[in-house]
Amino acid sequence: MSGTRGAVPRQRIVVVGMGNVYRRDDGAGPAVAARVAALVGGVSDRGPLADPFDLLGLWAGTDLAVVVDAVRSGAEVGTVRLIDLDTDPVPVPARALAGTTSTHGIGVADILRLARAVGNAPKRVVVVGIEGNDFGQGTGLSPAVRHAVPHAAQQVADLIGEAG
Amino acid sequence: MTGGSRRRRRRRTVAIEGISRVEGEGSLRVEVTGGVVGDVALSVFEPPRFFEALLKGRKAAETPDITARICGICPVAYQMSACATVEDACDVSVGAPITDLRRLLYCGEWIQSHALHIHLLHAPDFLGCADAVELATRDRVAFERGMALKRTGNLVTEAIGGRAIHPVNVRIGGFYRSPDHHQVAALAEPVRRALDLALDTVEWVSGFDFPDLESEYRFVALRSPGRYPMESGRIVSSDGLDASPAGFADLVIEEHLARSTALHARIEGRFAYLTGPLARYALNASELPEVARQAATRGGLGNVCVNPFRSIVVRAVELVFACHEALRLIESYEPPDPPAVAVPPRAGVGTGATEAPRGLLFHQYELDRDGAIVAARIVPPTSQNLATIESDLRRVAQNALELPDEELTWRCEQAVRNHDPCISCAAHFLDVTVVAP
Repeated sequence: MSGTRGAVPRQRIVVVGMGNVYRRDDGAGPAVAARVAALVGGVSDRGPLADPFDLLGLWAGTDLAVVVDAVRSGAEVGTVRLIDLDTDPVPVPARALAGTTSTHGIGVADILRLARAVGNAPKRVVVVGIEGNDFGQGTGLSPAVRHAVPHAAQQVADLIGEAG
Repeated sequence: MTGGSRRRRRRRTVAIEGISRVEGEGSLRVEVTGGVVGDVALSVFEPPRFFEALLKGRKAAETPDITARICGICPVAYQMSACATVEDACDVSVGAPITDLRRLLYCGEWIQSHALHIHLLHAPDFLGCADAVELATRDRVAFERGMALKRTGNLVTEAIGGRAIHPVNVRIGGFYRSPDHHQVAALAEPVRRALDLALDTVEWVSGFDFPDLESEYRFVALRSPGRYPMESGRIVSSDGLDASPAGFADLVIEEHLARSTALHARIEGRFAYLTGPLARYALNASELPEVARQAATRGGLGNVCVNPFRSIVVRAVELVFACHEALRLIESYEPPDPPAVAVPPRAGVGTGATEAPRGLLFHQYELDRDGAIVAARIVPPTSQNLATIESDLRRVAQNALELPDEELTWRCEQAVRNHDPCISCAAHFLDVTVVAP
């Protein structure tokens, strides 16, 4: 999803909802992205990404990149957390690209490291995490996550507004 | 202490608990005593995934979608082998238009998989980079070329398969829907650009510094007269085997080793063998299109390559082939009508073999009269290659004992990465302990 608030984009902004809508709460990212497209003018929803490597192309030359995804951190279900990767440390997974990972499991942190290595990283990357509970098979979010979607979408809209 | 005296006096153990830059999770142990490499063990410790048991009782029509989940890098290979197996059991042929569309879909997977392995997993070995991030920092052009190639592979897979990863348009007998002319024609320009990038890739990798090593491989690959093998063919070997997929399946013995959750395969009476790009190339180089043959010659390859480190050049030549083949199929595309042929269920046993990017992948299913799976056997390329990779490791380690521990470890990991093992498919990394008595 890309665009800005207002008719004349001044900043290039990309919002990506990551996740699989067929695995219950993992669909939180795409649900937020769809809601942001409805909230903010000039934004189109391109649907969820199939491959994290696609972030590299989408991110090239952007001012702000927002990645929305379901998380499982142990927090209360439905908790929305913003991580600004400019100011917060980039989380390095236990099996990061530098060490052991295969390309089966590449994550946002690895993609950001690659984007920075080739000088194509967005000026600012914000990860919006929504605590999920049910990652089983099927569509539909659990009640607490469904309730959190508008709240998360408004926070993304505010980020776009501030950057706009 | 000189390297020679160190070699005589020390007992060394190269123990790598998680091999880096391979697909999946495996470990490696090389024992060296008195300057001689002893036990070598490449072990797979990913949990077993029981796909063959999961298939029992499921309908044959479900096999392409269930088996595709074995791998996120080569799902098309599983789908193609599943279709070939069920169609063999039900004695159905799909005809040229569907075969061509399957081949085009498979080209997409070869392009994305080979581009990824060459640029992100294998090239860092030759450039002294720890990982793809360091490679991207040092050679942005090469990294971006790899990403562009991968994107093109994804584009082709998505256009034909409906989704870049785990495609949803494949069914037994063909496809759910034939892409229209416009959708396929739109692929021509990006694939043409990818062909140029693939040629650049051959030039890039052929300039790397390769360790001297010649191995005596027993190569096994599909052969399909008139075309470089991909979606069908007989199974041939460098020592004279020529068998149908069913005949080959009867010859392959899979053994369980206590240290591994992957089975190790060998051919009855012939022992270890190797599938994958080196084997396909050695047994089918004459079927490559002129542009790929010329690229191979410029890249320093003869008709057979037995230096496993040079597999990166062979893989790049196959990248040229896959782009060229995709372009040929795009330009001659006629939408299959109907998109799938009927495959009435019947009781029987079928075997299907296709060439996954990493090598031969064969399935064998027994179906009941309603088309339900009674028994299933899935033999991925990495299981077939494990014994040969261990032989390579032994030879590579023996030739590199003069190296300090860190470099020896690196070289041993390289010996594994040369063959692009997908350990996740077979059921990943290295850490060295030196024991000096």
